Amino acid sequence: MYLTREEERILDGERGWAEQICMQILAKLGDLFGANQLIPIASAHISGVSYKTLGDAPIEFLKALTENNAKAKVNATLNPSSIGQMLFQNKFPKKFHARQKTILELFQKMHVKPVLTCTPYYIEKPALNAHLAWAESSAAIYANSVLKAWTNREGSPSALAAAIIGKTPDYGFHQAENRKATTLVKIEAKLRSEADYGALGILVGKKLQSGIPFFQGLKPLENDCLKQLGAALASTGNINMFHYGQMPKEEIEKMVITQKELEQTAKNLSTAGSETKPDLVFIGCPHCSLNEIKQIAQILNGQTINDSIRLWICTSRHIKQRAAPYIEAIQKTGASIITDTCAVVTWTHILGINTIMTNSAKTAYYAPTLNKAQTIFAPLEECLKTALQP
Amino acid sequence: MSIITLKGRVIVAGNCKGKALVTDKPITFLGGVNPKTGTLVERGHDLYGQKITDKILCFPHGHGSTVGSYVIYALKKHGLAPRAMITENADTVVTVGAIIAEIPMLDQVDIKQIKTGDIVEIRTVDDSALVKVLREKSQCI
Repeated sequence: MYLTREEERILDGERGWAEQICMQILAKLGDLFGANQLIPIASAHISGVSYKTLGDAPIEFLKALTENNAKAKVNATLNPSSIGQMLFQNKFPKKFHARQKTILELFQKMHVKPVLTCTPYYIEKPALNAHLAWAESSAAIYANSVLKAWTNREGSPSALAAAIIGKTPDYGFHQAENRKATTLVKIEAKLRSEADYGALGILVGKKLQSGIPFFQGLKPLENDCLKQLGAALASTGNINMFHYGQMPKEEIEKMVITQKELEQTAKNLSTAGSETKPDLVFIGCPHCSLNEIKQIAQILNGQTINDSIRLWICTSRHIKQRAAPYIEAIQKTGASIITDTCAVVTWTHILGINTIMTNSAKTAYYAPTLNKAQTIFAPLEECLKTALQP
Repeated sequence: MSIITLKGRVIVAGNCKGKALVTDKPITFLGGVNPKTGTLVERGHDLYGQKITDKILCFPHGHGSTVGSYVIYALKKHGLAPRAMITENADTVVTVGAIIAEIPMLDQVDIKQIKTGDIVEIRTVDDSALVKVLREKSQCI
């Protein structure tokens, strides 16, 4: 890979160990994946924040970077942490709170913004065709497919290295020829809700494993549905982009999705028995948009939720602030608006949660292993009605 | 004593010698290796319960969360890291881990030729590596 004189100097350590090690990461990954150069990025989004999923592993490396004065050169943001604002005070062992705080402080020292959301695009939408280095698979696929920005599905360390250097190796989804659809997916099933879009993603991700699907006949009602589709595709497949709209010109392999398959997939995403009542109804994976918050307020319509069920609405602080009137209406029903975290990356079992009902296919897919919880997968309206039932 | 010489590509340079620990299964570092003991703790893995510390760890590639790179770094800081890592295909997790922990790493090596307990010597020159595998005769029969 070609490096500029400036980049060579960083690689030689002229600007200190932190930038040197970050440049080594980018240069080596670039070599491995056939990049010819590094390209500037508009932003970096860094995963690997929650103490629940990380444990102590990253603390020492992050500490070494901060001690060597590492600072992000571009707009850099953080994924959700394990502990939410307000609701979680003193709910977990002291050590968990302390370690999570340490991780956040280390990132902040590097000027990485603790937005603690998996939907950084609601805070600042990337420009069309902007090059990014985003980790968090649901955000990367949304950026490529819906926002038409360009990013590989970064890992936690490579996104951090890109933030500190302000560049990323030019390979994969940064090159137009690698962004073309590889499989035409004909949907012979009805997509009635955001949950159906999620189930479609789980199914196609599993069947395709990798590649770039083009969804024929997909009429995206709301970007929120596409958010569910992408998050699910990236959960079961090594898939970082999908297409819809204008048919591809080239002849590509075809796949058909039937109503029966889709229904079976949705059914399998519920692991709890049909009689089981949820301890938690969880909406907000990925974090809720302003539109979703508004929809939730409208469906709840001032009614009071059943006090034996918890209803969590997870979003970013940014959306919470922008949606203030709806937030207030939702809170009056007894629901909790939770920022900075979500059900998947916190310790739900410590909070006594054994059954999670959700409209998110991604959560339904991961919760049995990551939360050791049973799942009930249903569309938003059904989830909220369950929480309202006396 | 038999000697086999294998070729490979250098991911992180460094010359060293040590005892091989070999598996044909990918290794998941986050959750699969305890950074405080250097032990492989993934259930059902054929190296389950084995210490990777100071070994020439030979495996096809890494697997799982990218945070696994930080586990490799933590192993090194605790003095529990493998002496070198030899893989078939370099993946992002192990590559980044080897870079930040400064552990010699190779890929494109035919690891099927190496057996646990072999003495392995790695010599790297620029991008290419030579791996000398020394085995007691009795093991070959």
